[in-house]
Amino acid sequence: MDILVDILRAVLFVVIAYAVVFVAALVNIFYERRFMAFIGDRLGPNRTGPQGVLQSVADAFKMMGKEDFRPLLADPVLFTLAPVTVMIGAVSIQLVIPYTGGFMATSLNVGVIFLVAITSFTTLSILMGGWASRNKYSLVGALRAAAQMISYEIPMLLSLLIVAMIVGSLRVDVIVAFQANYEWIGFYAPFTFLMFYIASIAELNRGPFDLPESESELVAGYATEYSGMRFGMFYLNEYAGLTIMSMVAVTLFFGGWMGPWAGAIQFWGIEWIGIFWFLAKTYVLVSALVWIRFSIPRLQVDQLMAFAWKILIPLGLVNILATAAIILWVPSWKWGLLVFGWVSFFAFVGLFDPILKRRLRKQRERQPVVSA
Amino acid sequence: MGLQVGSNPMSMDAIAALLVERFAGELDDVRIQEPDTVVARCTPAKLKDVAARLKADADAGYETLNWIAGVDRGTSFESVYHVYSWKTNTYLELHVDLPRAKPEVDTVTGVWPAADWHERESWDMVGIVYTGHPDLRRILLKDDFVGHPLRKDYVDLAENHPHV
Amino acid sequence: MYDQFETPEPDEAVKLALRRIEESTARGEGSDVDGLAFNEVVVNMGPQHPSTHGVLRLVVTLDGELVKDVIPVIGYLHRCKEKLAEKRTYFQYIPIVDRTEYLASINCEWAYVMTVEKLAGMQVTRRAEFIRVITGELMRIASHLVAVGTFTADLSPLGTAMVFYMFRDREIILDLMEELTGARMMFNYYRFGGVRYDLPDGWVEKCRDFLKMFPKKIKEYEALVDTNAVFLQRTQAKGVITQQDVVDYGITGPNARASGIDLDLRRTRPYSVYPELDFEVITAQHGDIFDRYRCRMDEMRESLKIIEQCLDMLPKGPVQLGSLRAPYVITPPPGSAYVGQENPRGEYGTYIESDGSRYPYRLKYRDPCFCNLQLFPKLLSGNKIADAVAISGSIDLVLGGIDR
Repeated sequence: MDILVDILRAVLFVVIAYAVVFVAALVNIFYERRFMAFIGDRLGPNRTGPQGVLQSVADAFKMMGKEDFRPLLADPVLFTLAPVTVMIGAVSIQLVIPYTGGFMATSLNVGVIFLVAITSFTTLSILMGGWASRNKYSLVGALRAAAQMISYEIPMLLSLLIVAMIVGSLRVDVIVAFQANYEWIGFYAPFTFLMFYIASIAELNRGPFDLPESESELVAGYATEYSGMRFGMFYLNEYAGLTIMSMVAVTLFFGGWMGPWAGAIQFWGIEWIGIFWFLAKTYVLVSALVWIRFSIPRLQVDQLMAFAWKILIPLGLVNILATAAIILWVPSWKWGLLVFGWVSFFAFVGLFDPILKRRLRKQRERQPVVSA
Repeated sequence: MGLQVGSNPMSMDAIAALLVERFAGELDDVRIQEPDTVVARCTPAKLKDVAARLKADADAGYETLNWIAGVDRGTSFESVYHVYSWKTNTYLELHVDLPRAKPEVDTVTGVWPAADWHERESWDMVGIVYTGHPDLRRILLKDDFVGHPLRKDYVDLAENHPHV
Repeated sequence: MYDQFETPEPDEAVKLALRRIEESTARGEGSDVDGLAFNEVVVNMGPQHPSTHGVLRLVVTLDGELVKDVIPVIGYLHRCKEKLAEKRTYFQYIPIVDRTEYLASINCEWAYVMTVEKLAGMQVTRRAEFIRVITGELMRIASHLVAVGTFTADLSPLGTAMVFYMFRDREIILDLMEELTGARMMFNYYRFGGVRYDLPDGWVEKCRDFLKMFPKKIKEYEALVDTNAVFLQRTQAKGVITQQDVVDYGITGPNARASGIDLDLRRTRPYSVYPELDFEVITAQHGDIFDRYRCRMDEMRESLKIIEQCLDMLPKGPVQLGSLRAPYVITPPPGSAYVGQENPRGEYGTYIESDGSRYPYRLKYRDPCFCNLQLFPKLLSGNKIADAVAISGSIDLVLGGIDR
């Protein structure tokens, strides 16, 4: 009997995870288009359904109706496998994320490590798709994606390590429980959060780090040869990723589902109001992602790599050492972390841009004047 | 010190006189076309040499090639070179007559690099062969196009453009 | 039988690119340790590519991210404009000139009309000259807006916001032009000896409103990108056009002026009423992408200045020579003429030979983009793909003009 319940539970959570991915993708596509239109002083899609909310649904149907085309010279197995497997990351991440109190698939004892490990799966799919397409744009896009995602996994891991160090556990539900009473880790370690956030933008291949599919250079990057629903899978994964990554960020840094009256309505052992807080926090972060995308120009490959390896990773290592030292030796280490976290946050935010601009100004002065 | 436009201003008459004097026997029929163009004529055999010397001229160095036009004159072809002198801020329009039977002239890409595409276009459209051109392919029309459409005797047939 | 899976034979340009790879391999200039160039791939950028602004095709030899060689292939938008001239009267040909460089079509008309006027020895009425300058400068602003907008869109998604701001404000100019000419893109407005219509009532006031509003908008654009560190990093010291390039390849327009050369046909070869107007020739020093962008932004300001002066000086009088009807049939005496005109992209001119009949005997375009595009192999080689895209955006090509 217990086994039956467990199987039912497993099926339920897989269905929910897939539903979240598809619904989030459709919502995000519409949301981003309207947001982008707002930024660009336009209207955006507003014809299909009230305020255009059904636009994504219409697009999805259009995509399903398209011809399923495979280039003759493409590798048939990998080409088909890539869009099928691309969702695995987005779906299985949710298995360790508590949607709300008492509503979580499994409390893995290596939850945080599972998160990092399963995120890299998307890289594999993208590489498969790009390689199998037999298209030069796809290949360059896929290699860019691989280089970029592997590079940015390191700062991401470094920032997640700090979370684990503060909490003292790798279990995600323990991390959430640690943040009860609004002691959010994002407050203790804002710099760590910033690092995580930047790395997650790169992991999502979104602007300003959208090099693998930068439309002005590589047409559509790794997805160039895909059409119809195969392309749709890449597309859905990309947009679902917005929500999923924000969910991870909220869970690890902003108290997950916790909020005022989160447990006010409870039945079946689930705190229903918590879902609202979880989604609300998630969509604040999603909005920030969209906003960032349309405010910062795209970086170049070398600049992108330099930013990961020369700036984020050294800073991450220093951050880890400093945090470890504070936790070890400072008696009231929470206060110590709070001070260190905010000082480093403001130092980074306040100094990075001026230093960069000063360097650019110096470069500009040294730049030779054109002459005959 | 950057490049200046009109660093050595001269009157049109002076430029024409200068060209007549320095290129005697090479440039024929030198005349002034108001307000700022000198029109001259040259033979295809001497063109390359004349072009190099026109560019190197100390007083009125015609350093930039503006465009080349191929013209079908019925009995002959003509390649028109329009060059610009930064020093005097004037133009020179150089007409080169080519026999219709054998429309060949030396390339001037070595003198004015800009001539590359203009010569290709002239070959494409009028069919003037610029001998010594590094890469004389069609430029505006398809590779497999037959004929040169700006010749006055060109007849448009379906076989001429197999890929349309 | 057409076989959709047949791999097409590579065309001449691709063969040339492959041949060049072989040659460089034979010379031992390969990219890996053994000197074998097997890392180099030939990629067709275009004719359907998001950043080629039309149907330009670049056959690019890539070594990883590095651009080794570029062979531009043009002609995908060839519409036989020079051949069409043989069977059109001078008057019938005006709307066809519009369609060469479609972003600044009125400037193209201007060059053509000026050439015919020179050929036929016609005078232009003074009011018409001022209207020509006003419309020409308005279109220069509109064209620069598209140029800068699409260039920033090549750089980034931020540009997709920027390009919409710019198109939004270009609408105002197009509305003004529509009120004046009845068309938004292909105006067919200039006539030999004048222009087609006089300014409608209230047009001058609307134009003044635009002049008052637009400087604020320029500031808004500049605030978006001028201080953006990523933008600066991606544009400064990249794609430098030297003055030697300008001289060798006949680069004109903002691209030449960004390299510190004050070559502006409005100054160096004054036409129309430009000698009476007070404006600066914008130049920059470094000749890189950023300077070209800056030149365009500042030129918009100068154009505003010119329009304002013209509106102040606008004389009364006819806009057409003689009768109200345009001279439909003109027969210029035999001869040839070339007039260059400062198009937003550089020197745009038409060379016309007349044999005394109603039709031009030979009409040849001097297109700025055609000449600027010639520099591409030199300019793009050695850059990264991303830079190459940014550079080609900053050169500002219009394929309608290149292919004719």
